[in-house]
Amino acid sequence: MSRFLRTGIVLAISLTLIAGCSEPQTRDSVVVAIPTDPDGFHPHHSVAAASAEIAFNIYEGLVKAAPDGSIVPALAEEWSVSADGLEYTFTLRRGVKFHNGREMTPDDVVYCLSRLFDPEVTSKAADFAGVKGIRAQGDRIIITLHRPDAAFLALLTEFGAVIYPPENEENLSTQPVGTGPFVLTDWQPNDQLTLVKFEQYWNPELPRLKQVILKIIPEPAAMVNSLFTGHVDLIPRLEPDYLHQVEGKDGFAVLAAPMNLVQLLIINNAVAPFDDLRVRQAMNYAVNREEIIQGAAWGKGTPIGSNLSPAMDIWYTDLTDMYPYDPQRAKELLAEAGYPDGFSATLHLPAPYPLHRGAGEILADQLARVGIDLKIRVIEWGAWLEQIYTNRDFELTVVGFTGRLDPHTMLNRYQSDSRRNTSNFSNAEYDELLDQGLLEADPAKRVEIYRRLQTILAREAVNIFIMDPNQLAVMPEKLKGWRNYPVYVLDLAALEWEK
Amino acid sequence: MMYLLKKLFGMLATLAVVSILTFFTLFVLPGDPALLILGTEADPGALELVRAQLGLDRPVIVQYASWLGGVVRGDFGRSLTFSRGYAVADLIAAALPVTLPLAAMAIFLAMAVAIPLGALAASRRGKTADKIILGFSQAGLSIPAFWLGILAIQFFAVRLGWFPPGGMPRWSADPLGALNSLILPALILALPRAAILTRIVRTAMLEILKEDYIRTARGKGLPETAVILKHGLSNALVSVSTVAGIQLIQLVAGTVVVEQVFSLPGLGRLILSAVLLRDLPLVQGTIFVGAAIILAVNFLLDSLYPILDPRIRGVQ
Repeated sequence: MSRFLRTGIVLAISLTLIAGCSEPQTRDSVVVAIPTDPDGFHPHHSVAAASAEIAFNIYEGLVKAAPDGSIVPALAEEWSVSADGLEYTFTLRRGVKFHNGREMTPDDVVYCLSRLFDPEVTSKAADFAGVKGIRAQGDRIIITLHRPDAAFLALLTEFGAVIYPPENEENLSTQPVGTGPFVLTDWQPNDQLTLVKFEQYWNPELPRLKQVILKIIPEPAAMVNSLFTGHVDLIPRLEPDYLHQVEGKDGFAVLAAPMNLVQLLIINNAVAPFDDLRVRQAMNYAVNREEIIQGAAWGKGTPIGSNLSPAMDIWYTDLTDMYPYDPQRAKELLAEAGYPDGFSATLHLPAPYPLHRGAGEILADQLARVGIDLKIRVIEWGAWLEQIYTNRDFELTVVGFTGRLDPHTMLNRYQSDSRRNTSNFSNAEYDELLDQGLLEADPAKRVEIYRRLQTILAREAVNIFIMDPNQLAVMPEKLKGWRNYPVYVLDLAALEWEK
Repeated sequence: MMYLLKKLFGMLATLAVVSILTFFTLFVLPGDPALLILGTEADPGALELVRAQLGLDRPVIVQYASWLGGVVRGDFGRSLTFSRGYAVADLIAAALPVTLPLAAMAIFLAMAVAIPLGALAASRRGKTADKIILGFSQAGLSIPAFWLGILAIQFFAVRLGWFPPGGMPRWSADPLGALNSLILPALILALPRAAILTRIVRTAMLEILKEDYIRTARGKGLPETAVILKHGLSNALVSVSTVAGIQLIQLVAGTVVVEQVFSLPGLGRLILSAVLLRDLPLVQGTIFVGAAIILAVNFLLDSLYPILDPRIRGVQ
């Protein structure tokens, strides 16, 4: 054994030396750590966030999201909306090449989007039920709607709405072909993905790097170790539990920004005692958000008071002061509701999410102080989705809702008949306002509608809205060009090494 | 010959039972693959479409039959969720060059440590050497592999930089690097196996050292080392080889943990992601292949017995 070991050690040392010598001064590649494999790259079949964030670099749609949450041109150079809000006209960028070398045509756009709008083809068509038709006219694409839909343009920035060459339809899942700044040249499942610069990208300034390797590392501890040993250059989403290992470490930068995730304790409004508004309000008064943010997210989070994150910019209304931390008031409300000695209930926490588990444990402790005794059950994700999310067979649970670009898609899950209405919330005023929000063309009036919707959710104490945790990106200080988005994407095009 | 044929038949029957059990267990478990794919954005229409696309809307028996039909033709189907669209056979084929060498290195290391230590402990029964070896063996059994793995990474990879902290290059791209990244996980995986095998070698040796022929060997004036090595150890190895087969099963289970800690793209990690995502064809395929490997190794060991142990040859 000793000879075996010695050989290994000698090999290791010599390999490190070789690697150390051959490293050039300015690098043109970067290694990024991601926790899981994508679920494939077919825009109409893949639904995992892990796929969408990588696909952002491979494919493009007519429009895309910018770091500030605005919608900017991509394959469409410009667009206009008719006065009645029913007709969208996109002017296509000329000379855009697919990764297979062919030039993109208006017919490709009509083909891809027609399939996206077809409920027989993709589950994503549900978002586009209001689309009447799509056609090409010269180098223009005209999309008509049945009724005005103010959220429509934002939906076109999502992964499902990208344009690909129809001739590559069959193998897109494992061999994606798009128009984006990077080409996927290799994918070893469970191991790594290789992205290489697309030399014919329509924007000659991008991408800055020649190659990006995405290494799949499931353990956050292994990610941090690999960062320190130089096997990985960038951790885009660090688990907050590992923050203390990298914070203040020489030569590394931690960039924190709101990730547009709504972390909340979902209350099942349909079961006793939670069908009583006073009980839900009491629970909201009993919660100290700052303590949760410190304890579960190491201080890296923004408290929220309703179902939108501050990352939603103009749409966001700050409602965090509606229920200040006031355990005394909580006890009074509980007594009024007929529970002077509190009550007990079950809190389900999803096993794979340490941030939600941590927040849930602190919440249970805070609620215990006003007499609400929570039994914690940690539940596997598959079982969570079935028992809690679909069958709504639960009392309380903690989870996070991923942010979308438009407030409607974030708030429509509280409509009484929505199948995603896990809280079993039902409010006629809310339902009506939400429908109005889509029909309203005037942005200022829309902002007002969504302000009122957020206020109703807070006033009715539907859930305990906790925080928007920060996205923590860690990289060497010499790596520049990191851009954070209010949607779940990973923008690799602007990354470059400092000269 | 009858002995081996009987074993072979038993092996095929076991494989069939394993495949039926995994298939139906996954249906009984809560967690719907379509729901896991769609997550918190799922609505009933979308769920129905995804189930239909995945073929999950067919009766369980039909799904099993079509899976079995594929396996007979060497087609394990395609992954549903994880790396959607990849052929299960390709995913397994990519994982085996990681897990098989890892397991082989670990079992080799375990034997290389356990046989001399066990023999030494037996020959020094009750003395200091025996106590130290038994103490180490106790520690090796009690320390959880994942914890030791994390410590080893911290020290040998992060602090000393001798090994990579995880991951593994492909054999074709960098064979030395690939070998190097397997050393630390193989050591971690070998430790509990070595600990238990040491005890088994020691016990087997103690039994044999009581036998008459050992007394005879000593009586005719053979040096003690020759008695231990030639007459003792070679006979003790028969019982050790049986246990080594059982240890192999635990070793394969151990790779699930070690491959996760060391981020190795092997079979263990494939099984874990497949189960968590309820990726039926991938779970079926990986468990089936894992079971087939274990059975094949046991079959090989069984066919080795007659060579190792003349008594079995006699029974035939």
